[in-house]
Amino acid sequence: MRREVLIAWPIALLLVVSGLMLGCNGEGDAADEAGMTTTYGAISSKVRGMDPMDIGDTTSSGIASNIYDCLYQYHYLKRPYELIPNLAAEMPTVSEDGLTYTIKLRDDVYFQDDPCFTETDGKGRKLVADDFIYSWKRIADIKNISKNWWIFDGKIKGFDEFREYTKTAESKADVDYSRPVAGLEAVDDTTLRITLVKPWPQVVYYLAHLPSAAVPREAVEHYGDEFLNHPVGTGPYQLKTWRHGSKIVMERNPTFREVLYPSEGDPDDEAAGRLADAGKRLPLIDRIDITIIEESQPLWLKLMAGDLDIGGIPKDNFDTAISPTRDLTPELVEQGVVLEVYEDAATYWYGFNMEDPLLGNNKPLRQAMNLAIDRADFLKKFMNNRGVEARGVLPPMIAGYDEDIDSPYTVYDTELAKQKVKEAEAEYGGPLPMITLTMGGTDSTQRQTGQWFIRSYENVGLKVEVEYMDWPSMQEKVKTKSAQMYSMGWVADIPDAENFMQLFYGPNGSPGANNMNYKNPEVDALYEKIAVMDESPERVALVREMQQKVVDDLPCVLTIHRVVFILHYDWLNNYKPHVFQYGLAKYRNLDAELRQQRVGR
Amino acid sequence: MFSYIVRRLLYTPLIVIGVLMVTFLLFRVVQGDVSAEYAGRSASPETVAEIRKELGFDKPLFVNTEAVSEHGVLAVFDSQFFHHFKNAVTLDFGRARVSKQKVSSMLAEGAIPSLTLTVPMFLGTLITAVSISLFIALVRGSTLDTSVVVTCVCGMSLPFLALIMFGQYFFAHKLQWFPIFGYEPGLAGAKYFVLPVLMGVFAGLGGDVRFYRTVMLDEINSDYIRTAKAKGQSTPRILYKHLLKNAMIPIISKVVLAIPFLFLGSLLTERFFGIPGLGYLMVEAIGQRDFQIINAMTFVISVLFVLGNLATDVCYALVDPRVTLN
Repeated sequence: MRREVLIAWPIALLLVVSGLMLGCNGEGDAADEAGMTTTYGAISSKVRGMDPMDIGDTTSSGIASNIYDCLYQYHYLKRPYELIPNLAAEMPTVSEDGLTYTIKLRDDVYFQDDPCFTETDGKGRKLVADDFIYSWKRIADIKNISKNWWIFDGKIKGFDEFREYTKTAESKADVDYSRPVAGLEAVDDTTLRITLVKPWPQVVYYLAHLPSAAVPREAVEHYGDEFLNHPVGTGPYQLKTWRHGSKIVMERNPTFREVLYPSEGDPDDEAAGRLADAGKRLPLIDRIDITIIEESQPLWLKLMAGDLDIGGIPKDNFDTAISPTRDLTPELVEQGVVLEVYEDAATYWYGFNMEDPLLGNNKPLRQAMNLAIDRADFLKKFMNNRGVEARGVLPPMIAGYDEDIDSPYTVYDTELAKQKVKEAEAEYGGPLPMITLTMGGTDSTQRQTGQWFIRSYENVGLKVEVEYMDWPSMQEKVKTKSAQMYSMGWVADIPDAENFMQLFYGPNGSPGANNMNYKNPEVDALYEKIAVMDESPERVALVREMQQKVVDDLPCVLTIHRVVFILHYDWLNNYKPHVFQYGLAKYRNLDAELRQQRVGR
Repeated sequence: MFSYIVRRLLYTPLIVIGVLMVTFLLFRVVQGDVSAEYAGRSASPETVAEIRKELGFDKPLFVNTEAVSEHGVLAVFDSQFFHHFKNAVTLDFGRARVSKQKVSSMLAEGAIPSLTLTVPMFLGTLITAVSISLFIALVRGSTLDTSVVVTCVCGMSLPFLALIMFGQYFFAHKLQWFPIFGYEPGLAGAKYFVLPVLMGVFAGLGGDVRFYRTVMLDEINSDYIRTAKAKGQSTPRILYKHLLKNAMIPIISKVVLAIPFLFLGSLLTERFFGIPGLGYLMVEAIGQRDFQIINAMTFVISVLFVLGNLATDVCYALVDPRVTLN
């Protein structure tokens, strides 16, 4: 029998596979061969679009901020975070009443070359003050359905009226962008004046927030709805390739203005070698190659293979990378891996709907539900101890954070919790009914967390059931005030306490940012004061007072502040953790020779 | 047969209209207006209204009688159903809720990587499984037969996720035979598909070999095989000319109906190996309640399924003279 005929196909397959395997390993890069320095990174979620007007997630911001620029930026090295001019020539001049901001622009800023600039044969034109007014009007234009109107809502003179006007337009094309806004004035090409309705000291932070970046009208009109895929900015890089869900490649923008690496930083920056490139023109690396890797195993394997210069540590690989003393394991140190740890500006909690008759009216119950939670165990089980227990609302890096906050119920104490349950029952007038916790996710970690909560509450005599749903469904439920208790958190947009405190301001109730529907007139009065105050010791005291009142009322189960662990190889220079990750790639540098030695790439 | 195919093709639009009716009922009538949900947590009523307008929920469901007096008789078609119908026929499914990308572009961009992965995976599994089954059918009851069946059962019991994780770790990371993860369009990207395809073929063999073995065993004891043997025909001739041809009906039923689903990609393989296909698109869309994508995928798969059914019938007639298409 000719059995070889039967197995001919598998053999042929093997030969083909063997042929394809030749040159399989090793991720040679043509650009490197052409003499360009390339850094390789990964992101774990897809970029949703690169139109600043509509960017609302950190991944998209992190990428697009290398292409677009804002008026201001955070100093790369100095801590606490300090704003410095970016497209602005200097910090703004503020009128005495705090209502008028006059901003001088640099006059050497050009948009990157792009076919949209038809009048100049694709040569990028100079940035002018009107570009900011146009860009912000796009956010106000209701036809654009921007996620970011909340930034300007009710703050700039005449801007709300402009938004109202856009509602009357029949279509997008009918909106007249030349219609003046009283509070937005281009005094000349390099002078922008903003007039506010009431003092808004945080405005400068928002002028460093990516949605406020300048976009050229030519590009918006040229690309239309596809503008989100064709970014045209003034930043250090320009988009070269974007394969949705797979890869993003950015290359140095040849017309980027002269911007130099900072010459001063924190005391430890000199020792860490982060001032070695002081005074050098940015960007330092020619090309950024970002792969989108949503699963943790390939992300980790690629990082360990040296295919990536930098990456996070997946939950399941944490013990492989980090020793019990919270240092890098010797194997990784030997590979040239460097560990960076920093506290994120984030707080996580399980919110109570304060309009729920059971939870809203029963303070001992809310206290018991806080006391029953062993935050240390939560951190250990679900986060590899990558976090610190939250006793207050503000994370440690925000002015107003109070390490010694008087928060006797945000500790783990089952005995006191049981006592509080009894008080809660007395106040309710009988045994407490089942409480429903809504989790915004259906994956195994969410389910394990849910089970952990059920057990924690069972331990103190409380009955809790958990319902799991996708994130949008949970948001819908929270927005319509139909969730009783739900998982939530907040990551700072700006380094200012107001960004967190707005979450507890009564008038911001659902569907607004205060989704706990928490109302306390004293807290509201304090918020109204801090919202218009400049940074000062008095303001910090008021913030702490407000936070104390919130913690006394406990409209949520405070859980943790996140701590981030990042690994990078020693051939990636100048890396410094930064909470506000806008346009940071331009500062990074690469020792390509060392990388070649270590991983042959 | 030609007239049958033409007739069936003429029926296809009617079936497609039926599919469109069902998707319309599902996504427009049963599910209702999703504008508020799309607008997000802090959206004002005006923003919700704009989204409603953009998604067409501000129009009547089936006929727009109100617009007739102002815009003429043709304005009666300015309704949700006719727009749903027109958009599907012109493959204009709008923009995705989350990514804001054009859904038709997403499908076009994702289909090529998905098919590049699933077609070789499918063909590799099919040919290997049929070859093994033919061979095993010859040695029925032997130790080899038992071993193959046991191995198949073990293979079927192995979770695909575990297999992928092991394969990626061992063959790509430890042995460095293959790239760990990645994608490049064109021939340059072929190297990224080798390991995922091999994993897919391996994972699919267990079930397929068992199925095709049963099919072959049903046939191998038939009179015509005994006759062929008695006439002294060679084993390959018996297997390929007689047995395989007669076993084609169940093979075709399984194969042709699976073809439309190749378009859907392979969820786990794509995600673990970085292939930007359609495998995860549908799952992600369901998780994010991105109805534009769900609607488009439902429509496309339905149409492919209808065409797949037609292809199955035609293939039956081609391989089995007893089947006539009337």
